[in-house]
This record gives sequence, C-alpha cells and structure tokens, in this order.
Amino acid sequence: MLRITGGKVYDPANGIDGVIKDLFIDDSGRFTASITGGRTIDATGMIVFPGGVDAHTHVAGGAVNFARAMTPEDHRRTQAFIRTKTRRSGLGGMAPTTFATGYLYAGMGWTTVNEAAVPVLSARHTHEELADIPIVDKCSLTLMANNEIMLDQLEKGEYDRAKQVVAWYLWAAKSYGIKAVNPGGVAAWKWGHDAKQLTSPIDGYSKLTPGTIVTQLARICDDLGLPHPMHLHCNNLGAPGNIATTLDTLKHLEGQRAHIAHSQYHAYGGDGWDTMCSATTQLADYFNSHPNITTDAGAVVFGDTVTITADGPWQHLLYKLTGRKWGNLDVENETGCGIVPYTYRPSNLVNAVQWASGLELLLLIQNPWQVFLSTDHPNGGCFWRYPEIIELLMCADVRKECLKRLPDGIKGKITLPEIDREYTLYDVAVSMSAGPARALGLTNKGNLGIGCDGDVVIYEEDKNVARMFGHPRYVIKGGEIVIEEGEIREAPHGREYLIKPHYDPSTDEFMRPLFEDCYTMSFENYPVEFERIENPVMRDCIAPPGS
Amino acid sequence: MIYWGGNPAECHPRHFTKYTIMQKSKFLPRGRKDRTMVLVDIRETKSVKAADIFLQVRPGKDFELITILRAMIKGHAIGDEQIAETGLTREAIEDLIARMKAAKFGCMFFGMGLSMTRGKHMNSAALLTLAAEMNAFTKFVAMPMRGHGNVTGADVIMRWQTGFPFGICFNRGYPRYNPGEFSTIDVLVRGDCDAAFIIGADPGATMPQPAIDHLRRIPTIVLDPHITHTSKLSRVHITTAPQGIAAPGTAYRMDELPMPLKPALKSPYPTDEEVVRRINEAIARKPFWLPDGSQPQMVMGQG
Repeated sequence: MLRITGGKVYDPANGIDGVIKDLFIDDSGRFTASITGGRTIDATGMIVFPGGVDAHTHVAGGAVNFARAMTPEDHRRTQAFIRTKTRRSGLGGMAPTTFATGYLYAGMGWTTVNEAAVPVLSARHTHEELADIPIVDKCSLTLMANNEIMLDQLEKGEYDRAKQVVAWYLWAAKSYGIKAVNPGGVAAWKWGHDAKQLTSPIDGYSKLTPGTIVTQLARICDDLGLPHPMHLHCNNLGAPGNIATTLDTLKHLEGQRAHIAHSQYHAYGGDGWDTMCSATTQLADYFNSHPNITTDAGAVVFGDTVTITADGPWQHLLYKLTGRKWGNLDVENETGCGIVPYTYRPSNLVNAVQWASGLELLLLIQNPWQVFLSTDHPNGGCFWRYPEIIELLMCADVRKECLKRLPDGIKGKITLPEIDREYTLYDVAVSMSAGPARALGLTNKGNLGIGCDGDVVIYEEDKNVARMFGHPRYVIKGGEIVIEEGEIREAPHGREYLIKPHYDPSTDEFMRPLFEDCYTMSFENYPVEFERIENPVMRDCIAPPGS
Repeated sequence: MIYWGGNPAECHPRHFTKYTIMQKSKFLPRGRKDRTMVLVDIRETKSVKAADIFLQVRPGKDFELITILRAMIKGHAIGDEQIAETGLTREAIEDLIARMKAAKFGCMFFGMGLSMTRGKHMNSAALLTLAAEMNAFTKFVAMPMRGHGNVTGADVIMRWQTGFPFGICFNRGYPRYNPGEFSTIDVLVRGDCDAAFIIGADPGATMPQPAIDHLRRIPTIVLDPHITHTSKLSRVHITTAPQGIAAPGTAYRMDELPMPLKPALKSPYPTDEEVVRRINEAIARKPFWLPDGSQPQMVMGQG
C-alpha cells in the first residue's frame, strides 16, 4: 500500500491539470479512494504524472537483436549497468539489451511500452525477449500488410476470409494488434522492388494495390473490435515529396480509425534530396480536421543511432546513401526487415529538416490527444533521449538556440522558427502517457483514476526541463517503488497485454494447406503457446464501431 | 542458390530438401528445375551431385575470388593472372556473374570452408559485402551455415541479454566483448578462469591441448546427457535429460527462428534448466559476493 501526498497532480485522463491531491494505491497495485497504513511518499512541491506509455518503439525481437549484433562498437562506448543482487547487468546505447531497456525506460518514468513490429514467425522469440525486459508492462503489434496468405485473400476479394486469417494470425502471435508497414512494399522487396503508388498493383499480384491493403486492414481492425486501430507505417517513408503519398493514404482511411506511426518520416515536400523540405503544415491540418486518427511523432534527435524497420527497400536505399553497414532479413512470406546504423547531423540539411519536422508535428497538431511523443526508437533516436524532446517542446528559447546550429540553407524549408507554442506540463502528460494509453486502448494506463494501475512518476520541479524529466525522484510501477532518489530499487516482472479476436474455428483447417504450401515449419509448431507468455493479461475486444 | 565452402549434403542433410532447392512454391512451381545451384569449394564433396555448377576454387583463394567477383559485377577489368590464381577460368566467372545478375532472387550460404580457412572472418565479410552489392542488380541475400546443436539459440540469447553473441567477459560486472581475448579457448589457454561450467558441449574433445589441460586443473562442472571427454576430466558431471528428446525447450534455427521442442520420452534425469535454476537458487541464498554499495549502479563511459 502506498500513499502519495501533497504533490501537484497532472492526470489528463480525468481532466486534472496541476491540482494538489493525494493518491492512494492498494495492495493489488491499483488506485483506490483511501487506505489505512502503508508507506507515505511526501510529494509536497513535486509534480505527479501517470507513468509514461510508449505507443511506438522497437525493443525486442529478431530485428532489434540483429541490430545489437551489428553494433558492438556502440556497446563498448555506451553506459553499462552493473550487476547487483537485485539487478542484471546490461548495456544501454542505440539498441539496449533487454534488462537495460527496462531499467532505462523505468529510469525516466515510462512504465508501459508497445513493441510495434513483430513478424508472427519470430513472435515466440519476441515474447521471450519481452519477458526479459523488467519493470515495464508490454504489448506487441503483428506485421500484417505484407503477409502473402492474407494478401492472397484480398487479391481474390475475399474480405471475410482475410478477416478470419488476420484474427487467426493475431492469436497465433499472441499479439495486441495490427501493424502495417509499407503495405505491399515489403512483399515487392522480395522481388527487389518497392510499392510507392497507392493505386498501382504490387509485384507478384495482378490487381492488389497498397491502397486496398490499407483500407481493408483498417476495416478488419474495426470489425474485429481491436482496442488499438490499425498502426500504419505508410508507403514511401523518408522520401522527398512523400507528403502526397501520406495524404493520399489518409484519404483512403477517411471515416475509419487509424494510428499513423512516426509521421515525421512521412511529411516531406520537395522532389529530391536538394529540395526536400518540411510539409508538416499540410499533414497537421489534416490531423486537425480529422479527430479519428492519431499519430506518434517519430521525432529525430541529432546523434548516432541504428535504424530498424520492416521497410526493407527503404533500408537498402539508406545503405546506398550512407555506405554504412546493412543488415537485411526476409521473413519468409510474412515480411522483412532492414537495419542500418545512422548518424543524424545538424549540419546535414536533410537531417535538419527531419529534426524540425518531428517537432513541428508535435507543435502544429493542436490536440495533444492526437500526437504522441516518440522517436520511433531507435530510428529517429534512442528512447532514453525523450527528455531532450520534452525540453524542446516546452521551451521555445531552447528551440531557438538549437535552430542556430542548423545550416543557413534551412531557411524556407521548415516552419519551426515561426512556431511559438510551448507545451504545458498538462500537454506533456497527454503526449507521453494519457494520449498513447488511450490510443492503445489500455484503459488502465496513463490514468490516475480509481481502479487504474498504480503507475506513477514523481518529478522534482526543475527549471532545467530535460534534467527534470530525465531524472524522476520516484517511479512507482503497480504500487511498487521501483526508482527512488534516482536509484533502481526493485526490478519486478512486467505484464504483457494480449487480445484474442474472434475467428471462425474452421480457419485452422483453411490455413493448414496454405500454410504447408509455403512455410518452412510445421503448422502445429507455429502458434506461440499461451503458456510461454509471462504474466499475460487478456484485453477484451471492443464492440465494432456502428454495431 | 550458391553454397560456398560448405557440404550440406553431409552436414545439413535437410537443407536441400526442406529449405533451398527441392521445394515447389507459388513462384517456382517446378521446384528443383526452376532453380540453379552453384557450389564453390576446394574439393569435390558429396554436395557436388546436387549442384548444377561446381566451381573448384584453389585452397585459400576464396577471398581473392570474392574480390574478383565484386570487381567484375561492377564492370572493372581483371587481369588473367589474378583470375588464374583462383583456379577458375574467366569464362566460368563470367558465366557465374551473368547467372547471378539474371536471378530473380539470389541466396548464398557459406560454411566453415569459407569462414574458418585462410582469411577467416575477412572471407565472411567479403561474401556478405558481395551479397549486399548484388542488390544493385537484383535481390540477393547471404546466410552462414551454422554448426550443430542450438548454437544459434545461444548466440541469440546472449545478444539480447548482453548485446554480444559470444566471447563475453563479465569480470567488471557488465558485459564486454573481445573475441580472441574473451573467447573460451583464449581464456582457458591463458589460465584466466578458476572454474568452468559447461552445458551441452564437449570442449575436452575439440579444444587445443593447453585449454584442455587447464580444464583439468580447475574445478570443471559438466551438464550433459552423455559421459563425454570433458566429463572424464571434470570434478562434477551431472547427467541431464536430452533436449528435444526428453526435455522441452526452444531451439533456434540457423535463420534465427525459434522452434519449440516437444519431448517424446520421459527421462529420470533433470533438465539442464532445472539444474541451472537450482544452482542459481543455492547461490542466491549465499551473501552477495560484492559488499553492499561497493559498486556503482552504472558507468557512463566504459573507458
């Protein structure tokens, strides 16, 4: 039992904006109206937030693990966690090890993370890694938009079959929702090509287009009643002028729920690397008039990182552009992935545009419930650099200082210098916790209301915003104090959220011959056994909209 | 399909039939007939029979041949002398390049004949670079043919827990990596460790004599379903249930996909996991080996 008294509470889920208020957590780790006995944290003069929720990150699974293998030089220079009686050792850096991932997230007050890209084939591996990420609660999304068995159904116009197949796959992967990466483009990459036009047929298909995949998958998410809508990485990521593709995609999604991942990478104007500029105003305008969609920023911070994405063709381009190491993984008929280490430099005009675009989206989209803090870790930068971004959002003068580091050629390519908006603490609490929790449909998260999970972060008020958010005084996970005075006290196991969407029991027999035709493992061994999930929590599907 | 320095017919007998050349598929409906298989090796092995083209490279000249291929695919001129050194003819190399460029999807698999002969990891790096560069023309990938057992699984798990696949040293309380310094043979040969704990491996049969001598000198503990050479020189041997036969678990395939192991038999012996867990629990009951507060929680730069 725990009582937090006297703190200034920011709880956007309940409309509480900086009110001095006591919080109580019972023995089950949830908020309650009052308790007797137990420990008291005197939070007088401190700021109380719901624990952070990362809607889009890559922290576990085959791709991240491949990135770890590719970057020993980074492990050697980065921070190291030393083994203690209660804690495992590990390394931070661009692609932190599993134990370190939990310590680093919790260390800055994040208590829930969503692993945003899991092929079904490596789901068993991903869950094993997730089980080794301590403290934080987790969920994961399954890559669906390039799965050939599913695409075959859409090609044939068998919508209902496709829906059954998707539901079957989600349960096989023990997943929380659907991720669509470069719909059709990753399948085309198997042919060495990409899919950049929403209306052109995909390689290997006669009439199926990325546009069809996008609309049908969004509809499937709604019809299955998934708590989180389709999580979409649009076609044409990273390319100059791709705002046209992004807006076109959004028009395909008119009237449907959707979450657009790392929209910074999809908001560029221009027609080449020389003319590339920010087109965030157009994208923000769209979001401002379409409350049915949410997004995470995918903001860029300057420095070294490693890019990891299922977008194989893009990674090949990045390898050619940079000449750095390149890892490519093709995941049978399901998806693929590419890995390229990358350094974002303020002196590089393209990188400067990317840096500004991420912040612009966070500032230009008016409703903080629609745009969330993310770097698409580790693509735009590492998650442990979020406090730097919060500082840039809250302090226009810090932004102005940073803008001075950009080359002169940036003039006219970005709108950031004209934006005066500064995030309030309430905005930050929405963007880092309440907003992403709501978008993920994790109703117990990002919410300090009675019955919700006792995940709290307590900051000492500090004029240096980055320091304040980087070094919380206390972090409480499920009522347990995990960080105190900047030190990790406890490293409990987190939970994993799963859904089991309904599918026709005959889907097993429908899948078997198709599966045996193209997979290299046996059908029985494919679905991840429920018993393998550590601390699973089943989330119910929601009623489909309009039902 | 290019196999380089490997002999799958004898070492990975399921590879041809299950994964690479025999399977019929949506885009290759005639299976074997729709594929071309090239084998590059220094001698005629049993795998030659499966190949359409066998290229016999002169021993120790793999790196040179790969480098020539990398140059020629980009249209650089190569002298006759350099080509002669590899033991192949210009026609054979040009034919290979034409086929590689014309392929819809090229795969290269390389074995210890490449990665453990003259040039070692430089050879592997050269071949991986060749695969990367081929993507300027068509889709190409490359993958190593790993050793027996669940070597990939050990590699995968070490990576997620420590960031490194092998050759890891924890003596500063956090993982450090340096093959050649921290790899098992090097640590043993230098006599740097004062105990050894060996699971499902038999270094006593394969490692160099100075390493084996050190294993004999120190308390060595072996977990294995069989009595091995290492068991015989160890202080303690614990018989465990064989994985996949009498013990459940997970094995990672060479392409890093985890396969569940379902035991067919019961064993009177405990599983490796159970033994390790019980040892861990026993250690946890002892006072922590470092005094409280004597260590920092974290170091920022490792220096």
